[in-house]
Amino acid sequence: MVATISEQNSVSVAKELAIKIEHLNFYFGTGELRKQVLFDISLDLPKGQIVILTGPSGSGKTTLLTLLGALRTLHEGSLQVLGKEIVGLPDKALIPIRRNIGFIFQAHNLFESLSASQNVETSVELTRNIGEKRQLAVDMLGQLGLSDRVDYKPNALSGGQKQRVAIARAMVNRPKIILADEPTAALDKASGRDVVTLMRHFCEEAGTTVLMVTHDNRILDVADRIINLVDGRLESDSDLETQTSRIS
Amino acid sequence: MNFTFLKRVPLAWLNLTHDRKRFVTSLGGVAFAVLLMFVFTGFMNALYDSQIQLLTKLNGEVIVINRLKNNMFVPASFARRRLYQVRAFEGVADAYPFYISEGAWKNPETGQSFSVRTLAFNLGDPVLSLPAVNEYIAELQLPNAALIDTRVRPEIGPTEAGIVSELADRRIRIVGTFELGTDFASGNGNLVMSDVNFLRYFADRGPEEDTRSFATADLGVVKLKPGATVEKVVAALQQALPADVLVLPRDGPDGFVTRERLYWQENTNIGFVFTLLTTMSFFVGIILVYQILYTDVADHWAEYATLKAMGYSNAYLLGVVLQEAGFLSVLGFLPGFAVSYLLYNAAAAATGLFFQMTSERVVNLFVATFVMCLVSGVVAVRKVQSTDPAEVFGG
Repeated sequence: MVATISEQNSVSVAKELAIKIEHLNFYFGTGELRKQVLFDISLDLPKGQIVILTGPSGSGKTTLLTLLGALRTLHEGSLQVLGKEIVGLPDKALIPIRRNIGFIFQAHNLFESLSASQNVETSVELTRNIGEKRQLAVDMLGQLGLSDRVDYKPNALSGGQKQRVAIARAMVNRPKIILADEPTAALDKASGRDVVTLMRHFCEEAGTTVLMVTHDNRILDVADRIINLVDGRLESDSDLETQTSRIS
Repeated sequence: MNFTFLKRVPLAWLNLTHDRKRFVTSLGGVAFAVLLMFVFTGFMNALYDSQIQLLTKLNGEVIVINRLKNNMFVPASFARRRLYQVRAFEGVADAYPFYISEGAWKNPETGQSFSVRTLAFNLGDPVLSLPAVNEYIAELQLPNAALIDTRVRPEIGPTEAGIVSELADRRIRIVGTFELGTDFASGNGNLVMSDVNFLRYFADRGPEEDTRSFATADLGVVKLKPGATVEKVVAALQQALPADVLVLPRDGPDGFVTRERLYWQENTNIGFVFTLLTTMSFFVGIILVYQILYTDVADHWAEYATLKAMGYSNAYLLGVVLQEAGFLSVLGFLPGFAVSYLLYNAAAAATGLFFQMTSERVVNLFVATFVMCLVSGVVAVRKVQSTDPAEVFGG
């Protein structure tokens, strides 16, 4: 299928959007120290798309990611996550929204005291699906190639394995959106590649939207779309589906 | 009932016990704070309990004293004929006079004199419920015979039957022993003798000392008939007797025993000093537990923040930290209690004071320990609650 970008966009709008951003402004600090970090961002992320967000340090990438993750209260513009407007919501109302989102961080942030399975189970417990949590966690770890490491503590796992446990924790509830911040930064080339390939694989299967902040040029090819952010403004937005062959 | 919380990953327990060495050190810290509280409250209670040892051994439900005798230290006596009046009242089975006097005891080994308290009564009256005393009634009928308390202070010298020494400059022979213990009013220890012998020593000790006779008694111990109501008898006696005597029930909140205890609580600094020390131990405990919990929270800051990003509420995190506090309080209390128990026995043997580990005191200190850990938990958890989950994303 060959389509121009404008046609592609109109199709996406017609499809359900995972995230819809309109004229979003964001500031840090108050009073005289108030500093605007995001300027008039408008962006639509359709379901099932894998988007990489790039840009120089300080351009506001991570800030944008935290906003989409409902981790900060917002006051200007419009931001709809899975159809729900979160601009103007108080902190408490943001908590249930976060449960639909999987987070993957640069560091794995696993509890050392918990086994791989237990770390993943903390995520399942949020869904109150207590009876099946062990099974769900073990299945998820198995799909990420960790079936023989289910009861290992993080200290006994390699860096790539730890990051895969963290991904299992983010994905076990089949969230509609995954937000990842430099997920491969702490990994070597092979593990980094493994990790993003697995993410890509799962997201295609489940129709999950992925927004990934990365500086890692080695993994740009997994993206459907690359967005470049400079000084808090959208600099470019290029769709790669037609240009790059996908890694399957 | 919803038991799903039991199936949750026991994050609090696993975080607490993950590092064994740190866990044991933490328990040691809590146990030490518990030990300090036990030791200080132990000394305080031992001092108070010792004051009332003799009083709880008086074999009567109602006590008659001179109105001026507001504690056992005051040597005020009352007319013994009041006790004859008492016997006439309904519900009263008998009323026994009890005589108390201070006197100088000569240590038979060093020859030095020390003040002791002599307790005396008619040998026909069962005034003291001390089985050891009642065994020696026959021996006590001999002239210049007395029993000595085995828990006297060491200055008094050896405490065994057969010792011959001097009391108030008269020869005295020890015919047996009993066990009571010292208090503030007892000087260095207690002797027990018959009322007849009491007069031999204290009737006339010279111009500078009070004379004693059977006309006055220091305590009146009133034994009631079975079925008589203590309150009614006390009220009737107090109403009918002249105001020179005070009639008190032995036990109860307004009783003679409680009054004595309150006197020492309110008129000495014991309570203040030891309560201060106990409170300080309590706060040391709070700081200790706070350190333990804060370290856990600070070390796992990113993980806790991740939980918040995943959608866990502050209440869940508060629950985790408070559970840790709960585990620390229970598991730290047990060794603290065990060591304190041994220490109480050792301290009782060394000082002659009464160290009593009553279940009420154990429960009180456990509650204190629990509150101590809870307060620390609430303070420590503020660190997690103020955590902004957005900060986990490395900027």
